[in-house]
Amino acid sequence: MTTDEGIVYDRSLLGKENEIGTFEVSLKMITEFAKSTGETYPKYLGNDANIPVVAPPTICNLFVGGSRPDIKLEFGEVSFFAGQSIESKADIKPGDNLTATTKLDHVYSKTGRSGKMVFAVWQTQFKNQNNEIVALVNESFVTRNK
Amino acid sequence: MNNTPLYFEDVEFGDDIGPIIKEVSDQAVIDFVSIREPESEPSRFTSKEVAQSQGLPEAIVPGAMNIALMSQLLTGWSDNVSLLKLDVVFRKTVPHNTPLKFSGIITDKDESGSNNLECDITMENEEGVKLVIGNALIHLPNRP
Amino acid sequence: MLLDLHTHSTASDDSRASIEQYIKWIHILRKKGNEIDGFVVTDHRQFDHDVNYESVSKENGITILKGAELDTDTGHFLVYGITEKITSIINFADVTMSAQKLVDVCDTYGAIAFPAHPGRAGIGFAHYLDNGVKGFETVKTAELLNGSNRPGEGEKAEELIQSKGYNATGGSDAHIVSAIGTCMTLFESNITNETELVTALRSGSFEAVRMDKK
Repeated sequence: MTTDEGIVYDRSLLGKENEIGTFEVSLKMITEFAKSTGETYPKYLGNDANIPVVAPPTICNLFVGGSRPDIKLEFGEVSFFAGQSIESKADIKPGDNLTATTKLDHVYSKTGRSGKMVFAVWQTQFKNQNNEIVALVNESFVTRNK
Repeated sequence: MNNTPLYFEDVEFGDDIGPIIKEVSDQAVIDFVSIREPESEPSRFTSKEVAQSQGLPEAIVPGAMNIALMSQLLTGWSDNVSLLKLDVVFRKTVPHNTPLKFSGIITDKDESGSNNLECDITMENEEGVKLVIGNALIHLPNRP
Repeated sequence: MLLDLHTHSTASDDSRASIEQYIKWIHILRKKGNEIDGFVVTDHRQFDHDVNYESVSKENGITILKGAELDTDTGHFLVYGITEKITSIINFADVTMSAQKLVDVCDTYGAIAFPAHPGRAGIGFAHYLDNGVKGFETVKTAELLNGSNRPGEGEKAEELIQSKGYNATGGSDAHIVSAIGTCMTLFESNITNETELVTALRSGSFEAVRMDKK
């Protein structure tokens, strides 16, 4: 069950769309992402002039980071990325401009090896310059004590 | 990278994907976090001290980087693989400079024409503890 | 009869396996020569009275029963034989609920509640006993084998079970499809519903086993 009973946070954010921003996906960004994660395909690394470059399927994760609204949670000392589902809807290419919007879907608590934890789940949508959805992302962040 | 083409007909329920072993170096993490923020401050991803101040034993691999590594298990299986959906849960923080075992297993095969396959995926440390678990939906073309 | 007593479906926030996928996977396991008769769905902090697996169980020749895994003030507890009376008394979503009250209510209303992965840090019953928690005289069972245990957690569970003379169950704690059946409970009796499961668990005629995967 995912109840937010007893959790103090800004409930007005629930379901509210927030514009995160527009981000240009450069060739350099794609190749650096690919190199740092140990990719070997030329289509990601851009090291074969005959193969057009596309971004690795999870590149959207570079863009949201700490840009989400603060839910003003009155619990915990430290937050971590707890999980993600990412659905690729279209290729992302060098020069694309991605616009991200996000909304807080739900908040809930549970207990684990590190004691009580509160989870905030966000839904984020990325569209390219043609208003085409390129990725749908559901992300979960956990806050707990140290 | 696997240049051997793989087709939908080649894959059965229960087929293994991988395993592959990878290790994430300190420098790879610095390179990763520098893509968006070249002048980034030390963080729990790049500094043991900052990590320890947040109750962690050592610097950890960023979640976004772990997801990229998990996706490579699938995209690296064959150049023919299209990754449609990846869904992961982090169960334990992932340290730098330690062998990480990535493996997958085919758990469903849609024979109705979509050519989609479902698989479980895991990342384990050397003790066999699952650090990341999840599943994925992938697509393979038919054999020409 | 071999039942996996501890599995999570997509109703649990941290699971990525559906009941349909578990069923398909069990058919694959059986085809390869592995034995598994069924499983109990023990989603976190919830119980849905409206879900009924009877017909899908019959169609597939797989016993599928319902339970729950609850967060309590004394670690996680597995609960079987849940009735509407029990969910009217206990708020399953309350992560700080009294485990003693949960056990007592289950004892009173024909269900059974006992510690899940008792050797696990933070959410394992054994750690609470180490810290001086008392009571729980009616608890006679605990989960010995758990497919998600980390090094040391199984040993701690075994220590507790031996020292208390508990009966030991096994469950995979599956959160992904391919994990189902890795640990199970071997019952002497045949079990077709939750009432029979509670009776069997109270009888003590069972043992925890691992699947020797083929």
